[in-house]
Amino acid sequence: MQDNSINQLKKEYMNTPIPSELDFMIKKAFRENKINVSTNSKSLTKLIKITASIAAAIAVLTIGINTSPVFAEALSKVPVVSSIVKVLTFKEFKVNENNFQANIKVPAIEGLENKELQNSLNDKYLKQNKRLYEEFMKDTEELKTLGGGHMGIDAGYQIKTDNDKLLSIGRYVVNTAGSSSTTFQYDTIDKQKQILITLPSLFMDDSYIEIISKNIKEQMLQQINTDEGKIYWVEGGNSEGIPDSEFFKSIDTEQSFYINNAGKLVISFNKYEVAPGYMGTPKFEIPTEAIADILVGNEYIK
Amino acid sequence: MPKAKINIEKQLEAHVITYKDRYYRLAYSYVRNSEDALDIVQDSIIKALLSIESLKEPSFIATWFYRIIVNTSLDFLRKNKKLVLLDEEILCSIETGEADKYPDIDLQAALEALPHDCRSIIILRYFEDLKLEEIAEVLDENINTIKTRLYKSLKRLRIKIEEV
Repeated sequence: MQDNSINQLKKEYMNTPIPSELDFMIKKAFRENKINVSTNSKSLTKLIKITASIAAAIAVLTIGINTSPVFAEALSKVPVVSSIVKVLTFKEFKVNENNFQANIKVPAIEGLENKELQNSLNDKYLKQNKRLYEEFMKDTEELKTLGGGHMGIDAGYQIKTDNDKLLSIGRYVVNTAGSSSTTFQYDTIDKQKQILITLPSLFMDDSYIEIISKNIKEQMLQQINTDEGKIYWVEGGNSEGIPDSEFFKSIDTEQSFYINNAGKLVISFNKYEVAPGYMGTPKFEIPTEAIADILVGNEYIK
Repeated sequence: MPKAKINIEKQLEAHVITYKDRYYRLAYSYVRNSEDALDIVQDSIIKALLSIESLKEPSFIATWFYRIIVNTSLDFLRKNKKLVLLDEEILCSIETGEADKYPDIDLQAALEALPHDCRSIIILRYFEDLKLEEIAEVLDENINTIKTRLYKSLKRLRIKIEEV
């Protein structure tokens, strides 16, 4: 036995098969997560800017409805159109090769009277998904030149809420390059008023950021304490190797959210935003009591 | 963006790419399947980039990144309820009677049956050739604890090695 058996063990350990996509996956993980100013992060900044300008345009529209009596009247004359508003799959991008699978479904909203809103949303959906597809094709080519591996992307949408008043669409992107990442984005529309509901528009002032953040932190700690499988990057939590500076401090002004069928506000995070990857895309339902004092009204959230 | 930070990110990337097999194998030794091991390597890179400021010296990259891999693997197993936390020192030397006497051919199985910490010590010491001080750094334990566990693990594996 002796040294010989350790050598035998070492030999077996060193023979652990290395998947061919390891190298690619590592490079991709660095490329997508480095703070380094790369072309990737530049295009991301651009995307954020575009979304911001869409949000700005919608804010103007909301003000338009609220301040112009003519405009408001024009809208109120519209019969109940809510039932006609629907979401369809507008286009699909598909790739089905041995190890490369892409399945991208682009949603489109139909039946909104407010064509400007409808077009800007549909345009956003198409552009983002087209970009996903192009990136996937680029990555696939790169992976092929490196000798193969497997990779997949699955993008689509889920209707989170659809009632007389509200429509909440969640769009997801699941990336698998041997490993996976997921993002979720939501849009919530008031079908009667024909407006996009933004998170700030629900509240009287900015205090919602602090109040909601505090509530989420409490929920995180509570989950950690009752289920040892739960891990969040939060102060007082159980995450090892993550510096305090990366802990969840506060939601964004425009944090991803939707309003569920029970009329509760649900705040959503992307994978890796507040927890390790295997925690998925964490969601927190905010108890209405916690925010009742600062809500603009109880039209949406109950 | 501070130049130093970009620089250290580049060093980290070069390092991980060069030694990717080592990190993958270590992750694999915890989760025993390739998909989860790839997931852990990817999660570890993201964690490393998030906490790059905690890396004081570029010369510590290896132990620092090993440590992230170990912690991420343990977090993963905890999340998937495959991990029972017991006193590692007792476990390293636990005797389960006759059946525990592994013949040579089952040495691999015996190694896999070791608690994570004990197995990691063996792996890092003999397969990846880390020094005991480095292992202490990776596993965040003091060096005497590492020595004790290594000794007990070897004993359990019925392996005699001159220099520990």
